[in-house]
Amino acid sequence: MPRLEPGTGKTKWYRTDGAVAVYSALISILIGMAVGAVIVVVVGLLKPNISPTGIWEGVRLVFLGVFSTGRSGSALSFGFNAVNMGNMLFRAVPLIMTGLSVAVAFKTGLFNIGAAGQYLMGTMGTLSVGLWLGWAGVPTFVAWICAFLAGVILGGLWGAIPGLFKAFLNINEVITCIMTNWIAANLVTWWFDAHEIFKNSAEGGKVGYVIPLKNVGVVTPKMFMDVLFKGSQANGGFWIAVLIAVAMWIMMTKTTFGYELRACGSNRHAAKYAGINDKKNIILSMAIAGCLAAAGASLYYLSGNTEFYWSTYQKLPGEGFNGIPVALLAANHPIGVIFSGIFMSMLNISGIQLKYLTAYNEYISDIIIAVIVYLSAFSMLFKTVLSKKIRKGTGGNVNDEPAQQLKTADEQNAQEEKEIIGDTKNFEEDVMEDYKQLFDESAGIVHAESEEGGQK
Amino acid sequence: MSEYVIEMNHIRKEFPGIVANDDITLQLKKGEIHALLGENGAGKSTLMSVLFGLYQPEAGEIKKDGQVVKIDNPNDATALGIGMVHQHFKLIEVFTVLDNIILGAETTGPMGFLKKKEAREKVIALSEKYGLKVDVDAKVEDITVGMQQRVEILKMLYRDNDILIFDEPTAVLTPQEIDELMEIMRGFAREGKSILFITHKLNEIMAVSDRVTVLRKGKYVGTVNTKDTNKQELSNMMVGRPVQLEIHKKPATPGDVVLKVENLTVPSKIHKNNAVNNVSFEVHAGEILCIAGIDGNGQTELVYGITGLEKASGGKITLLGEDISNASIRKRALAGMSHIPEDRHKHGLILGYTLEQNLVLQKYKEPQFQNHGFIKFDEVRDYADKLIEDFDIRSGQGPITIARSMSGGNQQKAIIARELDRDEPLLVAVQPTRGLDVGAIEYIHSQIVEERDQGQAILLVSLELEEVMGLSDRILVMYEGEIVGEVDPKTTTPEELGLYMSGAKRQGKEAE
Amino acid sequence: MVFLIQQTMLYAVPLMIVALAGVCAERSGVINLALEGTMIFGAFMGVIFVRMFQNAGWTQENGQIIMLISLILTGICGIAFSMLLAFSAINLRADQTIGGTALNMLAPAIVMFFIYMIVQQNTMGMVSGGAAGWFMIKPQTFGLPKGHSWGPIIDLFINKVYLTTYICILIFVVVSIFLYKTKTGLRLRSCGENPQAADSLGINVHKMRYLGVGLSGFLAGVGGFTFSMTTANMTSNGDVAGYGFLALAVMIFGNWTPLNIALGSILFGLFKCIAATYATLDINGDGVYMLNELGLSPYLYRMFPYIITLIVLAFTSKSSRVPKAEGIPYDKGQR
Repeated sequence: MPRLEPGTGKTKWYRTDGAVAVYSALISILIGMAVGAVIVVVVGLLKPNISPTGIWEGVRLVFLGVFSTGRSGSALSFGFNAVNMGNMLFRAVPLIMTGLSVAVAFKTGLFNIGAAGQYLMGTMGTLSVGLWLGWAGVPTFVAWICAFLAGVILGGLWGAIPGLFKAFLNINEVITCIMTNWIAANLVTWWFDAHEIFKNSAEGGKVGYVIPLKNVGVVTPKMFMDVLFKGSQANGGFWIAVLIAVAMWIMMTKTTFGYELRACGSNRHAAKYAGINDKKNIILSMAIAGCLAAAGASLYYLSGNTEFYWSTYQKLPGEGFNGIPVALLAANHPIGVIFSGIFMSMLNISGIQLKYLTAYNEYISDIIIAVIVYLSAFSMLFKTVLSKKIRKGTGGNVNDEPAQQLKTADEQNAQEEKEIIGDTKNFEEDVMEDYKQLFDESAGIVHAESEEGGQK
Repeated sequence: MSEYVIEMNHIRKEFPGIVANDDITLQLKKGEIHALLGENGAGKSTLMSVLFGLYQPEAGEIKKDGQVVKIDNPNDATALGIGMVHQHFKLIEVFTVLDNIILGAETTGPMGFLKKKEAREKVIALSEKYGLKVDVDAKVEDITVGMQQRVEILKMLYRDNDILIFDEPTAVLTPQEIDELMEIMRGFAREGKSILFITHKLNEIMAVSDRVTVLRKGKYVGTVNTKDTNKQELSNMMVGRPVQLEIHKKPATPGDVVLKVENLTVPSKIHKNNAVNNVSFEVHAGEILCIAGIDGNGQTELVYGITGLEKASGGKITLLGEDISNASIRKRALAGMSHIPEDRHKHGLILGYTLEQNLVLQKYKEPQFQNHGFIKFDEVRDYADKLIEDFDIRSGQGPITIARSMSGGNQQKAIIARELDRDEPLLVAVQPTRGLDVGAIEYIHSQIVEERDQGQAILLVSLELEEVMGLSDRILVMYEGEIVGEVDPKTTTPEELGLYMSGAKRQGKEAE
Repeated sequence: MVFLIQQTMLYAVPLMIVALAGVCAERSGVINLALEGTMIFGAFMGVIFVRMFQNAGWTQENGQIIMLISLILTGICGIAFSMLLAFSAINLRADQTIGGTALNMLAPAIVMFFIYMIVQQNTMGMVSGGAAGWFMIKPQTFGLPKGHSWGPIIDLFINKVYLTTYICILIFVVVSIFLYKTKTGLRLRSCGENPQAADSLGINVHKMRYLGVGLSGFLAGVGGFTFSMTTANMTSNGDVAGYGFLALAVMIFGNWTPLNIALGSILFGLFKCIAATYATLDINGDGVYMLNELGLSPYLYRMFPYIITLIVLAFTSKSSRVPKAEGIPYDKGQR
């Protein structure tokens, strides 16, 4: 809870919960990158074939890979790299979308670990319909819309399945998401395996790939991205993703629908009590999450020159899981997701630079991402320490400890209660509960489950 | 050798923002039944948790037989012979009774293998000796609440405890079971075991205890011999001022039927029988109809059935002439029903939402607060400000306070404000005063009476006999999912109500 | 028939080990979603250890000893890896699903990074030879000539099988006895059902949960090693083909009880076996060929385990024996 400034009754922007969430995310990022750098250094020292210069280059690329402009002479050179920048934004698109998918579900108290499966279903829908309509000679604009919608709808339906299980049978969505992920992986492989026409057999060395959409001309317009980032893959998909993110933000915070969704996420029983159709909202939330993840796939493959390796039954697409760190870093804020998505994409670019310019490889960026996800467990710790630091020195308030701030209201009441009505509950139990919930929330998840188990 | 087996001297226990125990002293004699009396939130449970090693006090000392001891965890407490029956049973539902009793005090052979045979014999011997009938091989989830409590008692006996703490043990029991429990407690005391008995029910204290220690708002009020005191004195000590146990209200002037329930049946989620079985009644405008009964006799499910939180399997519900038997929760609410739910944290509030968001929980869809699905934030704020002022809801930051950070009393006030302001013809209020102190209870009671006087129909569900007797105009008693009797609060006695509540007496075809 | 049973066991054994790993953690109240990651890490470490023995000059004759020592070392690495989950889930009370997901992302990243650093390609195998040559039990292991046969019954048990099948049976027996017959097992299960109750009886919930996660890590590591050896020819490529998640499905299918899990993993192993072999091999008399005649896609068989798990979940959701306190961090409060 932010402290109110005396006089204005408002909180300074740099002391708000949002600001603290940003600081906390930045700390996670820094630690994650530091871990990556440390691995680079340690491995470099252990490997005789990597020189101290090589180590230093590796470290610099971990942090600044996106600004790399290759080598001039023997030394690494840095500067504005339009291709890298453009590719960063291009690759950010699926990450932003799966990040939104995870974030929207989170807000409804659901953990959408099924983005991978939804992403695959979106891929299947978009590629199949895009190619089919392209061959049928449908105008490319119409074909584009249909291909996009086909992916989105298929993903939405796929996402709704865990929602149905959750709503009607109260089965944990994490389990059903895992199952549907692997079912999707097999379904998609099966589909393309069974339909020879989609297989790219024309180009040599392309065994196992689906024909790219550029072959039929169903491609997202560039929308000035080719001017801004010359030579990169960037296209209008990025603007579409940003637009969707803003729409999601409006939906979640400004509408009664968002109010209902968040109510279901925060306390399903209370939502039901208030006449909100909790089942409908849970299914809808998962369906929207599915749509968003699938839209990520659609936009990615509608760029035209991206190619899909269809024999995917043993491996799920990484974009699905990378949506989780994107959402976590953004504290599930739809607008924040845009930035965290771009950041994740930047790490990918850095990884590629590492691979081509040094003896290291691109997996260092995956390590950094995994560390960041793991660190979300520490976010409570960061936030507590940060809040303390930020609020210290503002003076005047005895209750500067964030933990105590929670109880400030109670304390006031305890004093007031002599007059009229007072604080009457079983203090210890409530205090415990407050702490627990504080923890749960800062971990980024509302424990819908544990609230349900609340009857004990 | 000290006169006292346990002495807790000048105990102080703080939680952030609150002092739960402030300089409390409690001395327990060997072989006595010592009652610990106080309102909700007076610090009884905290004090016992300190004794049981669950909390560490900031100040004060604990003595056992005159020696200062340090109790860091329940293991230390057990080693000192201290056992506790918690208010919420600490049982593992899927384990058998035997496993529950031995858990934490297992006897093992080589390699840590359990030796259940000996344990079983010991449990059976104990259960026969003290008349604590249990089925050692049944799973806890399958046995009655009364038997679960006997399992908890056996857990203490199995550990050879001789200082036994009972935390609000009678809340879940029928009057007969309460009598049995009292007899068992007396038996323990005769045998030289010392008993601490936590309660807020004066009758039980007068019936069974030797001495009483009273706490109030975390502070020590005093210790008295039971035979030298009376109920009025104890209740004054507990509340801190003379208490008016009576509720002042004018006689009711019942009007037309508002709610009509016919043959309502609601299936149980726990057992195979119906939780509510073929229940019929009417609530009139301008009266308070109270459903009385011991917890778990179908009251909760009856309310769920009426409000739509759970699906009824049969019967008809009519509200103001409109059949709402199959209507959704929202439709019922719009048809004229407001509902103060039993559990304010589970149903009543979205704790993560702000106070203002909670105050429009039943109204956010009304045109007043939304335009084509977009929330009118200014209107919401104005409305919240109005309710906060009218009902004197106190919170740290006014309308933008997160509900979780509000005190229990004010959370309840927020719910009551929200529901009463809707001015619906029917108010369903379930245990509206649970867990609140006397001041808050008085306030809420007066609000409910005022609503009645304005001509609202009120269906009140309460477990507190005093509330039932004082507030209602008509009482229906529920037992095992059925209405077993209707009585007039002006002519009935608690004893008569008790007979209905325990199923010993019923009106209708099986009437004596 | 011998071939079919042996093939099925090949797939069922790692599944069973890892599903039992899941039980150990979940019964103590911690959701171990990181089974997949721990397997990946275990498979990688297993290959590393085998390579170390090979580089140290150990030969094929000592195959079984190399295998056993590597297996145990891999298990220990699994414990170390799972401690990351334990720390975040138990000490930091973080969301266990997210913690598990983090480890599932971390394991392949680290493994791939180091595989590239070590062998400059995306798959790392043994220095020389293959898993079957070094570790499979066959007549030569007993000093008999290559083509020796003991007859169909004995062949089934000791010809062309891996020792891990018997280790798996041993693990099954030990885990079952541990959970249901020992003091520690009783206490561990109580922490998964009602940690508040366990705590009030003086049981250290954190310790028990660490034990559960540690055991889980050990078994998942061993499972990863087994997977790598029996189905991937002792190679590691940062992937175990979703086996960790499949094990999770087996665990749910088996309703968190060891015996049902054993049966479930054999059933799912059979599906895996059919999907993997029926289209390519014509094994008369094994019934597999007949399944081929049915014309069902192998992808359908691959999907079966997941679909069946979903169906089972749908029908048993009311009577599910999922540990009640699973996934809920335990707060010791002020103590």
